[in-house]
Amino acid sequence: MSRISQDNAVAGSRLTRALIYTVLIFFVIYYLLPLYVMVANSFKPLDEIRGGDLMALPNVWTLEPWRDAWSNAQIGVEATGLKPYFMNSFMIVIPAVTLSTIVGALNGYVLTKWQFKGHGTVFAMLLLSCFIPFQIVLIPAAKVLGFLGISGTIQGLILIHFVYGIGFSTLFFRNYYAAFPTELIRAAQIDGASFMQIFMRILLPSSGPIIVVTVIWQFTNQWNDFLFGASFSGFDSTPMTVALNNLVNSSTGVKEYNVHFAGAIMAALPTLFVYIVSGRYFVRGLMAGAVKG
Amino acid sequence: MASLTIENLKKSYGSVEVLKGIDIEIEDGGFLVLVGPSGCGKSTLLNTIAGLEEITSGDIKIGPESVAGLHPSQRDIAMVFQSYALYPNMTVAQNISFGMEIRKIDKAVREEAINKVADTLQIRELLHRKPSQLSGGQRQRVAMGRALVRDPQVFLFDEPLSNLDAKLRVDMRTEIKRLHKRMGTTIVYVTHDQIEALTLATKIAVLKDGYLQQFGTPDDIYNNPTNMFVAEFMGSPSMNLLTAQVVDQDGLKVQLSDTESTPILLPVDDTPAMRSCVGKQVIFGIRPEALTDPEGADRTAQNVVEAECLIEVVEPAGSDTFAVTKLGGKEVIARLRADAQVVPETYTTLSFNMAKAVFFDPDSQLRIR
Repeated sequence: MSRISQDNAVAGSRLTRALIYTVLIFFVIYYLLPLYVMVANSFKPLDEIRGGDLMALPNVWTLEPWRDAWSNAQIGVEATGLKPYFMNSFMIVIPAVTLSTIVGALNGYVLTKWQFKGHGTVFAMLLLSCFIPFQIVLIPAAKVLGFLGISGTIQGLILIHFVYGIGFSTLFFRNYYAAFPTELIRAAQIDGASFMQIFMRILLPSSGPIIVVTVIWQFTNQWNDFLFGASFSGFDSTPMTVALNNLVNSSTGVKEYNVHFAGAIMAALPTLFVYIVSGRYFVRGLMAGAVKG
Repeated sequence: MASLTIENLKKSYGSVEVLKGIDIEIEDGGFLVLVGPSGCGKSTLLNTIAGLEEITSGDIKIGPESVAGLHPSQRDIAMVFQSYALYPNMTVAQNISFGMEIRKIDKAVREEAINKVADTLQIRELLHRKPSQLSGGQRQRVAMGRALVRDPQVFLFDEPLSNLDAKLRVDMRTEIKRLHKRMGTTIVYVTHDQIEALTLATKIAVLKDGYLQQFGTPDDIYNNPTNMFVAEFMGSPSMNLLTAQVVDQDGLKVQLSDTESTPILLPVDDTPAMRSCVGKQVIFGIRPEALTDPEGADRTAQNVVEAECLIEVVEPAGSDTFAVTKLGGKEVIARLRADAQVVPETYTTLSFNMAKAVFFDPDSQLRIR
């Protein structure tokens, strides 16, 4: 895997370099400023925020807003904080990501290495599912969930996210496996390996980058989903995003901005974490196949 | 070990016919080379023998039994791929023993087999490396090791040397020949390199456009090509093919006419087939080594004729000197001794070994015998 180094970067003069850095630093500040505002204010007592200056660092540092947001804030009927909804999101996203990644990998394997008549059409249709706007399927999906008797449950949301994830995960894996040498599959066939043995022993061990890409993609999308969560969740299956909205939009009592900031950061933390841990592989995975070696 | 029989094999992809009725039979312990230009169907033929592609009609037999329809792993074959197809996530040892592992063979037996193969191919010190840590030649050895360890009835090689550099290719060629001699297993070998074909094979099958052009021993293919394609394809530099007129002047002769020079008359064997061509045009084929300087001519040859030819270009190649001349309006390559004294733009005596000459019908492109 090649990486950008002095060797393949275009050489420029000192002046252009300085210019480039100025622009880059400007954009870094531009992007980090909102994060700074959120973090700084989430550690302030409410009085300080009311006092005005959103840009200032807290005079008195306090963890109270974080504690409140996590376990005290009034969101549903009871003052539970975001904690149960945070858990809901995990219980929905983890199985849905796992399932759609596995099915996507199998689809990609079959669509490239065990091609059947009409494989192109099947792939085109799966691809189409990536581009169907969510709104169109809301009512049919609600019907299906009702028919299966899992509307308003965590299982229902798992199913929705799983099915919606298959399109993208298939696309990722198909393109990755298309570049995987077919001779390896043939060699394994001659060695007597079965369909699943070839998948598990030959393909999967070489699929690290694309698995990471798919997992990040699916995790981010499903964690951040609001529409499905708002449409299909019940009292005890509300995901984090919907709960955060309820928290921020609650019309009773004072607006506790510091708690809102803390809650919003909490909602963003898991995706941030996934990016930081595996972002390296994400770039590598997207690059894989583009560069020889 | 077993013989291999291919009977009237046809293969099509949809409406495209790739193999159009191939009949080949190779004896037990034979070395069959499938050779032909790109897209002639040789790799497809190999894949159908391996069972990696289904056949449309016909039959394939290994020994007395038909293997058509059997899964590749049940045909008792082993294959070496062009790209080597080593499993990237496994060590060399795991690569070699993967097939045995799938067949659930005991670990001790596996170890023994790995070691035996490693010794044969001298790759013992590589056993714990990953394929990415090996050089091209080493990967090639491992790929052969994976085939050897199966001890199959038939080995299949799909252009195994084409990814190696020139020197290594010659070394590995010798090694494959030595291995074949020692093990005596039937081998089917695909290549587009006709030198590989001639050096390795006991039988060569020349394919073009899905048809079997000729099937025979290397000597047969080289010296008795059945048509112009085989004649031109095998041999490097390839056979000179020129238009000639058959005449009857004091015996049967072919006349090579040039606009600038006096016609050259070359006597040929008086066969009924040639006699029937008197007055007609034929294609006269002569290999570069049968067209040489008089000192370099084959002393045992029966029918050597000398003629003055205008040399256009001289290309010294170390072991030989190639001279380009014009005969019958076409460029012709003669192969002279390394230190033959030839000067471009002058007339030089060349001797034609007519015993080695072949003639083809210009319309059907088939041999006239």
